[in-house]
Amino acid sequence: MSLVFMPEDMDWVCEPCGERLTPGKVELNYLGNVFHVELPVCPKCGFVYLYEDLAMGRVLEVEQLLEDK
Amino acid sequence: MDQKELREWEARCIQEEPPACRAGCPLNVDARAFVLAMADNDFDAARGVLEKSMPLAAVTARLCEAPCEVFCVRANLGGAIAVGGLERLCIRETRPKGKILRLPARPKKVAVFGSGPSSLTVAFDLAKKGYPISVYHLGVKPGGWLRELPDSFLPQSILDEELERLGTLHVTFVSVPALDATLVQAHEADAVYVGQDDTLAPDLAALLGPPDPDTLALERSGWFTGGMEGREHRFISAVSHGREAAVSMDRFLQNASLTSSRVPLRSGRTALFTRTDGVEPVKRIIPADPVGYNREEGRSEASRCLDCQCLECVRHCAYLAEHGAYPKSYARRVFNNSAIVQGIRQANTFINSCSLCGQCEVLCPNDFSMADMCLDARREMVSLKRMPPSAHWFALEEMRSAKDGQAALIRHAPGTNESVALFFPGCQLSGIRPDQTLKLYERLLELEPRTGIWLDCCAAPAHWAGRAEEFAGLLAGMEKLWAGMGRPKLVTACSTCLKVFSEHRPDFGAVSVWTLLAGEAVAPGAARPALALSDPCTSRHDSATRDAVRCLLDKLGQPLSPLAMSGELTECCGFGGLMDNANPALARKVAEARVAQSDADFLTYCAMCRDQLAKTGKPVLHILDLLFPELARPASEPPAGISLRRVNRRQLKDAVLGRHGLDRGARQPWEDVRLAISAPVAALLEERRILEDDVRQVLYAASRSGRVLRHGTDSRVVAAARLGEVTFWVEYREGEGGFEILKAWSHRMRISGGDL
Ligand code: SF4
Ligand code: SF4
Ligand code: SF4
Ligand SMILES: [Zn+2]
Repeated sequence: MSLVFMPEDMDWVCEPCGERLTPGKVELNYLGNVFHVELPVCPKCGFVYLYEDLAMGRVLEVEQLLEDK
Repeated sequence: MDQKELREWEARCIQEEPPACRAGCPLNVDARAFVLAMADNDFDAARGVLEKSMPLAAVTARLCEAPCEVFCVRANLGGAIAVGGLERLCIRETRPKGKILRLPARPKKVAVFGSGPSSLTVAFDLAKKGYPISVYHLGVKPGGWLRELPDSFLPQSILDEELERLGTLHVTFVSVPALDATLVQAHEADAVYVGQDDTLAPDLAALLGPPDPDTLALERSGWFTGGMEGREHRFISAVSHGREAAVSMDRFLQNASLTSSRVPLRSGRTALFTRTDGVEPVKRIIPADPVGYNREEGRSEASRCLDCQCLECVRHCAYLAEHGAYPKSYARRVFNNSAIVQGIRQANTFINSCSLCGQCEVLCPNDFSMADMCLDARREMVSLKRMPPSAHWFALEEMRSAKDGQAALIRHAPGTNESVALFFPGCQLSGIRPDQTLKLYERLLELEPRTGIWLDCCAAPAHWAGRAEEFAGLLAGMEKLWAGMGRPKLVTACSTCLKVFSEHRPDFGAVSVWTLLAGEAVAPGAARPALALSDPCTSRHDSATRDAVRCLLDKLGQPLSPLAMSGELTECCGFGGLMDNANPALARKVAEARVAQSDADFLTYCAMCRDQLAKTGKPVLHILDLLFPELARPASEPPAGISLRRVNRRQLKDAVLGRHGLDRGARQPWEDVRLAISAPVAALLEERRILEDDVRQVLYAASRSGRVLRHGTDSRVVAAARLGEVTFWVEYREGEGGFEILKAWSHRMRISGGDL
């Protein structure tokens, strides 16, 4: 899973920082497996937005695959 | 599961045993597949089945005396299927399926003396294996007595054609004036067969002596014989001899033992079980033309076949049917799943989907228990750390929450300091019907004022999930609590709790509350139409409780409508064994199949059964609706959702404590977060197994940290929090009456370095 994932709507602002989310490099891990992806993040504090479609789609698929490995 | 266990499991399921017809065929022709193809009007496929096992099919199918028919399971239900007649029809109506395949040539030579059916079979079988063959025959053409048959049995042109095909397999025919001793003795072949179903010179006949009855080997090494006189079916017995002799000769030529692991003829013996009760007799079709069936007659005759199979268990279990096979092959699936070293384990979900209900074991003529097999496999997965963490996660969380301080409680009755009985309603009844639970407790107090109460979970989910160690630990903890109450007998309201305690803690002396109440006076209820009583699967082996429930219903004046799979044969609602967790779609199918079994409204005495079955939209009552009409819920009430069950348990604990003038103590700080949730969003949360409590915790954490995402143009806000193994996200709007929840989702994947 070394890909770029962005929601259709990127108009989200990190409240404490007052920054709009931008694409940023993120490391995801599950059951000892690590993936490098690009997701919307806050450029200042690094808060990552794992949006609904991604969580319930690709991420869920990968989780289940890893659980059966 | 290791190899040995696999063999043991496999041996229990007899579904792969041959049907009686096949077992009765000396050539092992798959008569069931043949007849079914005929019924299907697929004559070419039917011929394919014959050619697979018959030598010179065009001859054999015309002449076989069909010894299989005496074994046919249809025999006493209108007469055996006319397999012989159907074979003749098929072979008349079709053409050979093409070239006969021959294995790579082998160096050793075979000589066959005589050309009757047994000799031609030896030539056919060994030629296919790649041996070059010489067939010595009398007269101009080979065939022996087959040449004397009238055309109505075997047209000579067909015999010629088949022998020509045989010739293409490196079989050479040599005409000789006599089949005598000199001819055979002079021969240099590596193996020799003498067919006695042809005219042998007296000196050769005298030379042979009797063969070994199992291998047909003669005393002289490399010599074999068959086709002796005096057997019941002149043609097929000779062919059968030829086949057995060919097996021996092949082994001989390869220096292998003639006998070791040789499969003896079955002569109709099979362990396949086929249920015939309920099968209507249908008379055998007699062909209008004595020559044989026409196509139409043949199809009708073939369609009388019962398609003999066992599948007793599969016919009744949606889970077994769903996966397309039967327990013997499922055992191999489970074994393969456990044997995989690298790669995807394909059968995890399969293993976790069985409801462990035990119906198959009762139905199976050999007591095959998928429940035992799947539970063992789950335990192995847990102990090898291969159990998918999400498989049973939600149910285990629910169990833990029912056992924690917010919901669990154990106390003597108000005003007493001892208990002679301890009411254990179970976490599901408490979560689904808290008011009725309390009322039931009051009723028990009337009968025995020294009845304590114990709100807890029996730990069945840990057991079903294969977590043997955790389960044992939980039970040990419960033993301490129980001992602290003075070891009173337990009174359970849930069949699962009762089963868990009876099997794992018999010292608790658990009895069913229904048994207790059945012994007391009960006021008859209002007249109602008959209900279909669905026994919980965990009551399968508890006839005492099942009888008590019926007695109670009788006292209430409640008529029952018959439900086929009841009592020992009852079916699971889809929750058992955590099926609903591992495979919610299948659990829905199971519930739907169950409620479809009766037009009457359903009645159960397990709260979880009530809600699982009610999810289908079927009206379902719990027995407490009949016992306490003033607190009855409508049969059509939708099930209590996952969030409501949690709230109900907490409130039940509050209510019980209230009677002691006590309070639960400190609430969780997030309990007061106010939510506004529309029906569609509630359904989404339910489907995604996200609790309102989870949402509250996320919002509470966000309100403390201020870390949220706010949309640039509208008023939507997103917050997230990691709660245990799962990260939950909530999208919402802040409103007057609390948080208006728009969406929620979750994932188990972690964001490295991301602290939420
Ligand atoms: S009913 Fe059909 S499958 Fe069963 S024994 Fe007879 S021919 Fe074979
Ligand atoms: S769900 Fe019940 S009947 Fe079906 S395989 Fe499992 S234990 Fe057997
Ligand atoms: S009932 Fe099921 S497990 Fe038992 S022999 Fe028949 S097919 Fe196999
Ligand atoms: Zn930020």
